[in-house]
Amino acid sequence: MTNCLKPILLILLLFASIVISGQNVYSGKVLDTETNETLIGVNILVKNSTQGSISAVDGTYQINANQGDTLSFSYIGYQTIELVLSASVINDIFLTTDASLLEEVVVVGYGTIKKSDLTGAVASVKSEDILKVPASNAMQALQGKVSGLQILSTSGDPGAAPVVRLRGITTLNNNNPIAVIDGVISDIGAVARLNPNDIASMEVLKDASAIAIYGSRGAGGVIIVTTKKGTKGKPQVQVSVETAVESANGKIDVMDGREFATYINGVTPGTYNNLDLLSDTDWQDLIFEKNQPITNANFSVSGGSETSDYYFGLGYFNQVGILPKSGLERYSAKINSGYNLTDNIKIGIDLSLFLTDKDNAPGVINTALRAWPIDVPYQEDGETYAEVNGGNPLAAIDFTNSNTRAFGGIGNLYASIDFLNYFTFKSSVQLDMIESKSKSFSPQYFVGPLQANDLSDLSYSTSNNNTVIFENTVAFNNEFGKHGFNAIVGYSTQDTRNEFLSGSTEGLLREDELFWYINAGQADFANVSNSGGRNTLISYLGRVNYSYDSRYLFTTSFRRDGSSRFGENNRYGNFPSFAVGWNVSNESFFSNEKINRLKLRGSWGIVGNEKIGNGQFALIVPGVNAVFGENEAINPGVTFQGGGNPNIKWEETVQTNFGIDLGVWDDKLTAELDYYIKNTNDILVSLEPIGYTGIGSFQTIVFNAANVTNSGFEWNVNYRDKIGQFTYGVGVLGTTIKNEVTNIGQGLGADSLIVGGDLGNGQQVARTAVGSPIGFFYGYEVIGVLQNQADIESSPTLFGQNPGDLKYRDVNNDGVINALDRTIIGKSIPDLIFGFNLNIGYQNFSISADFQGQLGNDIYNGKQVIRFTTLNYEDKFNDFWSGDGSTNDDPRPSLGGNNFLPSSYYIEDGSFLRLRTLTLNYSLDNRLLKRLKLASTNIYLRATNLFTATKFTGYSPEIGIGNATNGAIDRGVYPITKAFSAGFNVNF
Amino acid sequence: MHSINKLILFFSLAFLMSCGADFLNQAPRAALTQGSFPATPEDAVFATNAAYNSLRAWQINTGGFPLLDMMADDAIKGSNPGDGTAIAVYDKFEHTPTEGSTERWYKTLYEAIRRTNLVINELPNIDMEILLRERLIAECRFLRAYYYSQLVRGFGDVPKVIEVDPPLDLNRAPASEILNEIIFPDLEAAIAILPERSEYGSDELGRVTKGAAGALLSRIKLFTSDFQRVEDLTKEIIESSEYDLVDDFEEIFTAAGEHNIESIFEISAKPDWFVDGGNQYGNTQGVRGSPNKGWGFCRPAYPLLAEYLSNDDPRMEPSVLFLNEIIDGINIAGEGATPDTIFDNGSIAEIECYNQKVWYPGTDSRTSFGHNKRVIRYADVLLMHAEALNENGKTAEALTYLNQVRARARGNNANVLPAITSTNQEVVRDAILLERKFEFALEGLRFWDLVRTGNAEEVLGPLGFRANKNEFFPIPQSEIDISQGRITQNPGY
Repeated sequence: MTNCLKPILLILLLFASIVISGQNVYSGKVLDTETNETLIGVNILVKNSTQGSISAVDGTYQINANQGDTLSFSYIGYQTIELVLSASVINDIFLTTDASLLEEVVVVGYGTIKKSDLTGAVASVKSEDILKVPASNAMQALQGKVSGLQILSTSGDPGAAPVVRLRGITTLNNNNPIAVIDGVISDIGAVARLNPNDIASMEVLKDASAIAIYGSRGAGGVIIVTTKKGTKGKPQVQVSVETAVESANGKIDVMDGREFATYINGVTPGTYNNLDLLSDTDWQDLIFEKNQPITNANFSVSGGSETSDYYFGLGYFNQVGILPKSGLERYSAKINSGYNLTDNIKIGIDLSLFLTDKDNAPGVINTALRAWPIDVPYQEDGETYAEVNGGNPLAAIDFTNSNTRAFGGIGNLYASIDFLNYFTFKSSVQLDMIESKSKSFSPQYFVGPLQANDLSDLSYSTSNNNTVIFENTVAFNNEFGKHGFNAIVGYSTQDTRNEFLSGSTEGLLREDELFWYINAGQADFANVSNSGGRNTLISYLGRVNYSYDSRYLFTTSFRRDGSSRFGENNRYGNFPSFAVGWNVSNESFFSNEKINRLKLRGSWGIVGNEKIGNGQFALIVPGVNAVFGENEAINPGVTFQGGGNPNIKWEETVQTNFGIDLGVWDDKLTAELDYYIKNTNDILVSLEPIGYTGIGSFQTIVFNAANVTNSGFEWNVNYRDKIGQFTYGVGVLGTTIKNEVTNIGQGLGADSLIVGGDLGNGQQVARTAVGSPIGFFYGYEVIGVLQNQADIESSPTLFGQNPGDLKYRDVNNDGVINALDRTIIGKSIPDLIFGFNLNIGYQNFSISADFQGQLGNDIYNGKQVIRFTTLNYEDKFNDFWSGDGSTNDDPRPSLGGNNFLPSSYYIEDGSFLRLRTLTLNYSLDNRLLKRLKLASTNIYLRATNLFTATKFTGYSPEIGIGNATNGAIDRGVYPITKAFSAGFNVNF
Repeated sequence: MHSINKLILFFSLAFLMSCGADFLNQAPRAALTQGSFPATPEDAVFATNAAYNSLRAWQINTGGFPLLDMMADDAIKGSNPGDGTAIAVYDKFEHTPTEGSTERWYKTLYEAIRRTNLVINELPNIDMEILLRERLIAECRFLRAYYYSQLVRGFGDVPKVIEVDPPLDLNRAPASEILNEIIFPDLEAAIAILPERSEYGSDELGRVTKGAAGALLSRIKLFTSDFQRVEDLTKEIIESSEYDLVDDFEEIFTAAGEHNIESIFEISAKPDWFVDGGNQYGNTQGVRGSPNKGWGFCRPAYPLLAEYLSNDDPRMEPSVLFLNEIIDGINIAGEGATPDTIFDNGSIAEIECYNQKVWYPGTDSRTSFGHNKRVIRYADVLLMHAEALNENGKTAEALTYLNQVRARARGNNANVLPAITSTNQEVVRDAILLERKFEFALEGLRFWDLVRTGNAEEVLGPLGFRANKNEFFPIPQSEIDISQGRITQNPGY
């Protein structure tokens, strides 16, 4: 690597030489030709020197130059003007807008392309939208912003990752899109480690034409993150601070003490004789804190010269969390810098570093929902924890101490050489690394037999995960008359290694934090564990974009990936794509006055998925020991751990896309409409094989086992206009999803069904089968309540049903209810995901509202199914059946039994509409800014998750589906929060 | 510019630096993969030890809980009324194919069988000392038979798996096929090859023996009513002089009594968590509350206590831990949430008391993992021998062995448990069954004794047992679902 360090030194040296002095000072003002308004931030450069400046708020600038020098005035969207200094004074400069320069450029894989030349489906989200949510993770800002993209904030735990799905559920295993951060391919989790403030734009690649260049990793979609770069001119300093307070977004209605006792009396009459004497504890009130702060502060400085550019960013984020002992603190640093060594050689570095300190939330949410309300938190002395049926949540919080600190970075060091006029060779070494350390400690305690720790215990683990990608590309870019070419070929290798080391001990000498080290424990109990892994990829890639007269567009791409995750016979996969586009509005025959832009697009391609773990091997591990001998000695044992499948091969998603881009009334109205259909074949999925294979209970094996189709329409329509001093904009976007499994069981004999959704009590409520969406809910369909003995005798029933029990539908009409009568009772994948946003501006004020939601999905209320012991119930159970005719909706009170079988009684509608953010913004008046010597400043107030319309009874209907075959089951999550924030951005 | 030339050189080198074919061969770290193990004589021992490891696995014990005892008349679900409602169904025979315990048990048995199959199928390919190889294979054949014996008695017909990676389209094989083609030949081979207990070194204590194989085969042969074979097998064990009854019944289950003279098949465990050599069997039944030993499931049923009392049976005290009893210097205070006494229509239905046969000295959960489960005792061999003799028409001879067990139980109190003198075959048959109930209470034998002797409906009917259904557990629903019904359900479920 020493060879790579020299260029960096060189940059630093040259950087230092920028300091130049001893010239004349010129000053002047820059204005817009049409409006005569002053232009702020115009780059003014002395040609062939490193000297530069930038215009201030009033359009004025100062610059050191010599007579005879040429000054260039450049400004985004305006034609650049060059002026030879012939006098000592310069007149006001007027810049004219340039429509051709206004053309938006879109970042795509391994390059950029003019939006008008784009043949694929790509959505772009800019910095200002990314900063709209008071969250540590920029992905959360994409909620409701990109059609086709479903983002669910499933948990309010600070730092919790949202679940991201693009265009339905493509595979039965890992559906996460990949993130490409400044060219470095990483997982979506890497976005969480970036400071959103450093991000310039995020591009979501949606169709095969855009994705296929990422080959084996594109099936879940690709999100390209581009961070901010410096631009020519004097240093620009930005400071932004936001503070927020957050609270739980409502509570779950559970029984209070009296209701609980009444219910239990319904099960066992006379259990509680005097309801007035019972305690009534609201455990949710006891565990959640209100108005917990979130702080987000950022500082950046950027700039550049003719030959170099730089951006430095620092960020601090702190979210305390509404549950004690949860929370996230993050420090981030960003360096992006590039330097032109010569006219044709450029080197640079893009690097993001982070340090996070996360307190891992105690797992007490479910405990609080299930603890008996008639129990109290403390014994009579008011400080000793009382034994609580279902567990004492306050004690659980007290005795949980768990923290994870992580450090790492992602970035690349590159060099590029332009040669033969049209070619650029680029080579980069890319790094993605994370090192994390976790520690957890529990003191010795005894609250009750089921909530006790005989000896204090400590566990500590450290892990590192690093990827090195070495990538080399040659790009070609030129126009010959009406023929435009843009092509790239490349070769890359990727090497990912990970290793962990963990240890634990018990019986620490003392319990305070000074002793939270393995050496403070009893050596007898010390345990250590260490393992690692490595996987590698070799890739060849290429793409050609061709345009004729900006009317006819053609793109083809190809990638060939070889992965160590597959056995030798199935190691390589090929991923091609083709796309065409037609800019109808550029045709001479097209003369519609209203429609200024019309493009038709079509694409086809194949992408893959290799996020499968290293499932080809059946592992054989030590540590499976036996005990023998008079002294009961451990005798080492070695055997299988689970199973493997050496024959697994690439899963492929074939995607077809048709799209229309439309601009009406000079782009006042814009629309992007797409239809997609994705067929995924040979899906790699972890299945619990039939039990007699003996890989153990709850163990799975990876198979190429299924085909799935996703199809739907997407739209993104925006309208913006101005009425006097009012500006306003409305945007509507959405996606329909039709998800269907078309095959399961290739190579698996008769097995053609995936059973999932294990509730942890032996019940499995989700299935995946041909002809239905992935992970639909499966169980009995409730059609009422058995009212009396006559009702039981005249209805098909389960064995042993009594009056007051749920009446199940006899699906197969055989006169009895049994396992064969289970049927589809719900689905987790929504029919429609949508978002819409409104913006209104008046003078310096603006207000914006972002809504998002989904329709047509169900959630299984896994919190209320049969539990291992008697626990508190949700409010709904208060309406229990209490005699013939009392109700036909809810069953009699019971602790378990047939009313708790998987059934539609536990299915809830997961549709929702949420006001994600509501922002009131005020930009400081120009005159005030001038007095304060500031470039631009705005102050804002924002509410997040202010309002949610849903029928769902849990904390939030955004229940994530980790493994699609399990369906969306609410098992009790850290509630998402409602937050109110205030902040400001200042630019110097 | 010199540095730039270097840079170009670097790029060129980089571009040329292609990766060898090995770059994409990445084996897992810190683990072997299938096909590479077992390869050495050490591997052979390691693979065999791993097959023993399953004996301690929590799930092997009827899915974590002594469901067999709860279903029988000697134990109830236990713990407090609100706890373990998911398994309360077994106490009343209301369990369904989706209850998780059964599934855990079934799948983990097959996992254990896979471990034995690895040894049985692969060791012949290892170049090693022949005697040791033969012994290790025989140990695993014993273990395979033991695991399969749980499957056929628990579930009846089950898929027959004798390879490490079985085909995915197996059907259930008739129980008779499992018995005749796996269990019986495996155990006969084990009898022929395994050493007697005394032939093992002291550091091998706990490995299975010739005696254990004979005793286990006897136990299974009782299910097929092959009484002649049982008579012969048990006779051989009795005549081997390897075993005897412990003088004092109370000593059998103490910590000091581990691997005592009466112990034929016993699962060694250390007072530590599972990964460190413990067995949760004792913990699941351990005293709830104080001392904080366990979960308190599978508590002695009150009617059993009443019978012990009416017989003045001295075995009650050593079998049952009562509240306020002091054992190993520790006071049994029990748990507040568990009612000391539960009444039903004015009469006592249950009292808070615990299974003393799993007691291990100590006050915390961890030490309760130290209990060695006694799977087969010499007393069982004696009573099996008596049963076989009686069924083979040698009733008078049978009494000797029956009374040997009663005499030990009687201890120094000559006024209780008089010797059985009847020579009526039916009377003696009933006496033996009853003797087994008191001798082996809470040891997991009673339920299957009732099933194999055809007494289950009569005795357990009032508790909810239904004939032609509850003799077997349901096949786990997931097994039927995954096979799309190719694996069929047991009758009645």
